[in-house]
Amino acid sequence: MLEFESAYRKPGNTLFEWIFGEDPFDFWFGRFYVGFFGIVAIAAIVLGVSVLFLAVGQYGDWDLLRANVPPPVRAYGLHWAPFLHGGAWQAVVILATASFIAWGLREVDICRKLEIGFHVPAMFSLAISAWVILQIIRPLLMGCWCEGFDLSFSGHLTWVSNTGFRYMNFYLNPFHAYAVLGFFLTAMVLAMHGSAILGTYNTDKDPNVEMRREDSFWRDYIGYSIGEFGIHRLGFYLAVFALIMSDLCILTSGTLVKDWVDFWHPF
Amino acid sequence: MSTIFSVTAPVEPVEEFEPSDLDSADPLGIRLGEAGRWSFLHDFKIDTQIGTVWLGTWGVLSVALFVAGMGVLFLAGMDQVNGSLYLLVKYFANIRITPPDGLGMAPSMRDGGYWQLNTLLWAGSVMAWSGRCYERLVRHKWRPYLLFAYLSAILLTATIWVFHPLIVGSWADAPALGLNSDLSWAQNFSVLWGNLYYNPWHQLAIFFLFGSMMLWGMHGATILATGSEGSHHEDAEIKNMSSGSEKAALFWRWTMGFNAFPKSIHTWLWWYAVGTVLASAIGILTTGVVTNDWYVWAVDHGTVAQYGPITRSAINQHPRPMPASVLGAGYAPAPGR
Repeated sequence: MLEFESAYRKPGNTLFEWIFGEDPFDFWFGRFYVGFFGIVAIAAIVLGVSVLFLAVGQYGDWDLLRANVPPPVRAYGLHWAPFLHGGAWQAVVILATASFIAWGLREVDICRKLEIGFHVPAMFSLAISAWVILQIIRPLLMGCWCEGFDLSFSGHLTWVSNTGFRYMNFYLNPFHAYAVLGFFLTAMVLAMHGSAILGTYNTDKDPNVEMRREDSFWRDYIGYSIGEFGIHRLGFYLAVFALIMSDLCILTSGTLVKDWVDFWHPF
Repeated sequence: MSTIFSVTAPVEPVEEFEPSDLDSADPLGIRLGEAGRWSFLHDFKIDTQIGTVWLGTWGVLSVALFVAGMGVLFLAGMDQVNGSLYLLVKYFANIRITPPDGLGMAPSMRDGGYWQLNTLLWAGSVMAWSGRCYERLVRHKWRPYLLFAYLSAILLTATIWVFHPLIVGSWADAPALGLNSDLSWAQNFSVLWGNLYYNPWHQLAIFFLFGSMMLWGMHGATILATGSEGSHHEDAEIKNMSSGSEKAALFWRWTMGFNAFPKSIHTWLWWYAVGTVLASAIGILTTGVVTNDWYVWAVDHGTVAQYGPITRSAINQHPRPMPASVLGAGYAPAPGR
């Protein structure tokens, strides 16, 4: 435990307790907070990884980069598939989605315990939305589980490459372009923020002088300093922007737009 | 309305700069204008002070070279639309200022001269800006993290625009200037070298780029969630953690068994952002040097799953041209061009 940690390890204030009046899962295991959603998450993770191992063992390639669990082929449509014909993929997707959502609700529990804002679980649910759109919503809209991506290192790269070419030129997808812009901007602003803090901490005995030194530099350099609270808002919303654009980029491909080159011809 | 939702401190008086010899030593060393207040920014919970901005010799040089480069681009664009400003705006996305073939001087302005001139001017502008960065960092007694981050980004740009064309032997390897041609370059470069997804450095760069977004999501959300208890005063927090930073640390410790602290998180942030451009630069530099075809490289090194009867000889063959019936009517040239 950290030296200040015991003061914060208070029982109660969980979602489970809020609903049922009592929470038998309200405890820590080592460093980890467990809670009801921790139990759900770890159960789903153990089950999902077991299914992955079972399937990979049957497919036969144990190489970490090549081991692959593919989605069902097109013939199965939106139906259940036999285990080695995509059933394993369907099981893993369900279990992974369950564990992601449970993990997010566990974060909500921890936020409630610490009495802080719910920004992290909110951001995490936005990240989950990318997974849910890719593996569940878009396959449903397209009418086939085969639209999901392969669960493997090499397989998901191949899926990304093929999907880009399937809609002719993904770089001409405007949401893709805005998403890439968002990603590049997060990296740039991240470097600027990291440099500001690493560049100024402990350069003076008075932290207020260091803070004003940051403001003075940015005003001299680019004419504006967004401030020590504002920079975190900027970074947070840049990440939100990149994620929402990524969601729209894949959600529109194949459903509304079949060809991103042709898409621009009316313009 | 704004007072209900505001959490930032009330407006402070415009700060005074502590005196420095470095300010008076610069003949162009003046701060432009007067610091203004845009009070509507307060509603976004970001700082309301606009300006002043330091002029400085390096800054003047950088902006002058940038504007000159823009002027060259404007002339090149006008050259492509018969001097019609209307057509320049209409076809703005399709304006394409191409580099010349080979490594020599361009034969004419239209055949790469504009591109070479612009590249020279903007290279000068970017380097002058790094001079401004260094000079202001020294002035405000920062450690030079920002300079190294900026130089890393320059390294990637220089790799794409200069070093890789030099390796390959033609300026035509570099991107043409323009909105669409920029996107086309990214697509064509990948296809030309056998699919960049299978370049391990490209994979690492995407890992860092996505990781940068993820870290901004994690760090930004953590500070926003705990800022009411002071975790956003990060220089002060590094010396002495408030309850906000303690809660921020405990949130991640309880969630995933690991946590950073006010200083170490920024080391993570900085290396993820810089790692993105460094890995990208290595990825471009090795392309055409380590292999001409990253997919074949990946097959040879066992990092790609084989789908169906794909053999090395099969993927080395040139693909057949696609028939018009496959390409479809959408591939006719756009009317009127």
